[in-house]
Amino acid sequence: MEGQTSQHGQIIEINVDVPERERSLGGNKICGEAPCGFADAATNSNDARERSASMRKLLMAVALCVVFMSIEVFGGIKANSLAILTDAAHLLSDVAAFAISLFSLWAAGWESNPRQSYGFFRVEILGALVSMQLIWLLAGILVYEAIVRLINETSEVNGFLMFLVAAFGLVVNIIMALVLGHDHGHGHGHGHDHHDHGMGHRHGSRITTDHHEEHPRGEHHDHCDEENPKTGHHHFLDKHHRTGEVLAEPLVDKPKFGPEQKKQQNINVRGAYLHVLGDSIQSIGVMIGGAIIWYKPEWKIVDLICTLIFSVIVLGTTFNMLRNILEVLMESTPREIDATKLEKGILEMEEVVAIHELHIWAITVGKVLLACHVKIQPEANADLVLDNVIDYIRREYNIIHVTIQIELRAQDVVLEATVLKLHLDDEFINELHDSVLSFAVLEKENAYGSVAINRTWDSSIGGKCRP
Amino acid sequence: MEKTKSFKYHTQESNLGLSITDRRLAYVRQASYNQSQLQEPPHTPISIFPDESAKPFLSRSISNIDTISHHDKYFDKFSIFRALRSGNRQMKRLFLLISLNVAYSTAELAIGLFTGRVGLVSDAFHLTFGCGLLTFSMFAMAASRQKPDFAYTYGYKRLEVLSAFTNALFLLFMSFSLAVEALHAFIQDESEHKHYLIVSAVTNLLVNLIGVWFFRNYARINLFYRSPEDMNYHSVCLHVLADSIRSAGLILASWFLSLGVQNAEVLCLGIVSVAVFMLVMPLFKVTGGILLQMAPPSIPSSALSKCWRQIVSREDVTEVSQARFWELVPGHVVGSLSLQVNKGVDDRPILQFVHGLYHDLGVQDLTVQIDYD
Repeated sequence: MEGQTSQHGQIIEINVDVPERERSLGGNKICGEAPCGFADAATNSNDARERSASMRKLLMAVALCVVFMSIEVFGGIKANSLAILTDAAHLLSDVAAFAISLFSLWAAGWESNPRQSYGFFRVEILGALVSMQLIWLLAGILVYEAIVRLINETSEVNGFLMFLVAAFGLVVNIIMALVLGHDHGHGHGHGHDHHDHGMGHRHGSRITTDHHEEHPRGEHHDHCDEENPKTGHHHFLDKHHRTGEVLAEPLVDKPKFGPEQKKQQNINVRGAYLHVLGDSIQSIGVMIGGAIIWYKPEWKIVDLICTLIFSVIVLGTTFNMLRNILEVLMESTPREIDATKLEKGILEMEEVVAIHELHIWAITVGKVLLACHVKIQPEANADLVLDNVIDYIRREYNIIHVTIQIELRAQDVVLEATVLKLHLDDEFINELHDSVLSFAVLEKENAYGSVAINRTWDSSIGGKCRP
Repeated sequence: MEKTKSFKYHTQESNLGLSITDRRLAYVRQASYNQSQLQEPPHTPISIFPDESAKPFLSRSISNIDTISHHDKYFDKFSIFRALRSGNRQMKRLFLLISLNVAYSTAELAIGLFTGRVGLVSDAFHLTFGCGLLTFSMFAMAASRQKPDFAYTYGYKRLEVLSAFTNALFLLFMSFSLAVEALHAFIQDESEHKHYLIVSAVTNLLVNLIGVWFFRNYARINLFYRSPEDMNYHSVCLHVLADSIRSAGLILASWFLSLGVQNAEVLCLGIVSVAVFMLVMPLFKVTGGILLQMAPPSIPSSALSKCWRQIVSREDVTEVSQARFWELVPGHVVGSLSLQVNKGVDDRPILQFVHGLYHDLGVQDLTVQIDYD
């Protein structure tokens, strides 16, 4: 099966061996062979290409960083200045952050094995978490340094030198931000020429596997995201306009309106970008502090206040990303998927009676899984309903890894609870009903059609019972 | 026997008859313990399925039945005081520990600022970071009791694992920074700044030893976690333990220096760094494994393959694929499975069989997708 050519004149061929049994009417229900991202992540070409593009970016940034750092170390030793060496140490922390991101990117491509049945995609998230912790740590260290500057005598702190060093650091950080950053979306007049070559052929390339032959609507596999520059306005704030909310959440449109699903930048590249951004903000702060100390050496406290303010700003930029990371790690429903709507949509299908234990969670940003139990009418064709449900989910929400347990509704099982209590009031009965229901649900056995509490009247107790 | 008014298995307060210092009850399962106290002595519940053999149904290790009573639903956004009042013993101890730490570190910061001693300020910062982490642990303890809602379908228990992971990460950072400090001292050979830190180190040591005493049930390196709270408490204990090791190391270093031992600082700091690293690594690995959705360590892979074989050996099942299991929190395993079955076969007995099989292993949440050929 061949793929289609991209608009940049590249021919992308995909040869997928599909076993015969998957060519059933409803398409591939089992997320089985090659198209499934978990089983063999390495051969999933689009994923791998995106990952190698990100790695290339990061490697470039690391190289730049190392170069600048060695310049600073050399200059610092030559001039015997602590300030320059401190700034070199901050660049070293940048290198550490990039190293973490690179490692996460590389590790995410490892093949899954029985112990890691979902692959190693989570490593990205953990690496990003570690990166964020580093940012927080560094912000704290910077505040500490400001306090040290406050305590020490003014003669030891040369405001002018501080200013120069911070300015140099700022320039370096801006260069690296440009290298890393420009991939989130296509609005606001930034053409594609800004992007470096690594991301070039991701735009407009379209890969369809045989997987989707039955779906002529142009639905896209989870991994074959297309960023169509013409459609889809991407809401994000350019970093030149605002420093505080650079990576606002992009709006993800429903994929059934065409290839509009925007893919967020790889989370590790985002993390590295945040690192660099945080550093530039801090450099600005230190520059202001240095200028103040240079101009008016007795206003040392202003330096500390400045640093504190800018540290808080930096922590604010990490907030969004930390929220994303937290949501993924807590196995919560991803933001772009409306679980209520999904549930309602499935319930609206004929022959579906109930749906319970619906869990939607993400392995990493962009890879979503779903598991639920669907109860159908006893006469219904389970296979057909399964096909329909999986189709619906894939079509509407683009969730590929779906596991549905179809249950035929059993006859109503009545739980009888003999209650020995003197006064059977309504409130108690309601509480009892709730408790038993939650008990039944928690039992996770779905044979309970309904729970009815039969009130029996035990004459030995002599209680009253309302009919 | 007359049952009490509420049938709720509530976890509001742990009215434990036994004291928490009883080592056998170090890891208390509050919910199930309460339940057994309220009703008749625990017996193996029998399932009500008429066609099923009398197999014990509630054979899970953790009984997560905690229904919040009605009036608590309105207070769902926890406030710290309500959480404390209804919190269990460990949470109260943690709060006490945190307040001690905060008081101590602010005092140290103030003194350091006024007298101009940089060492005190750096120590105060280190303590503040630690305090922040302990606060996050406490927040996790309080927040993880929330019921699952629409966005967080698996509940909030993962927060405890996350807080344990963050604690472990911070301790790793600390061990790394101690190693760097040791290297620094080795290169630079300046040692006079350790002397006036003795008082602060001793006080730090005392405060942390109090913390270790509070959480002494968890003062082990390798622990078998039966619930996410275990993990959280363990991480807090390791945190204070590592801090006390660090203070002890500093005290030892200055004592050796006063004795005239060369490179005492390097030695002590190096030993402390290695000790903290080895202390934290197992916790880091386990929490990392859970967060990475590794196969649950509590279920040996041989048991899983045995289940696989048993399912395949049934005459109607042609193939089992995509068996994936992961641990939500220690004690709660989730899995999903895909079966290929011959056409026209009734799925209920197969479903029950598969569910029962994995239930015995400890996999509570299982989703089985049956595809007919």
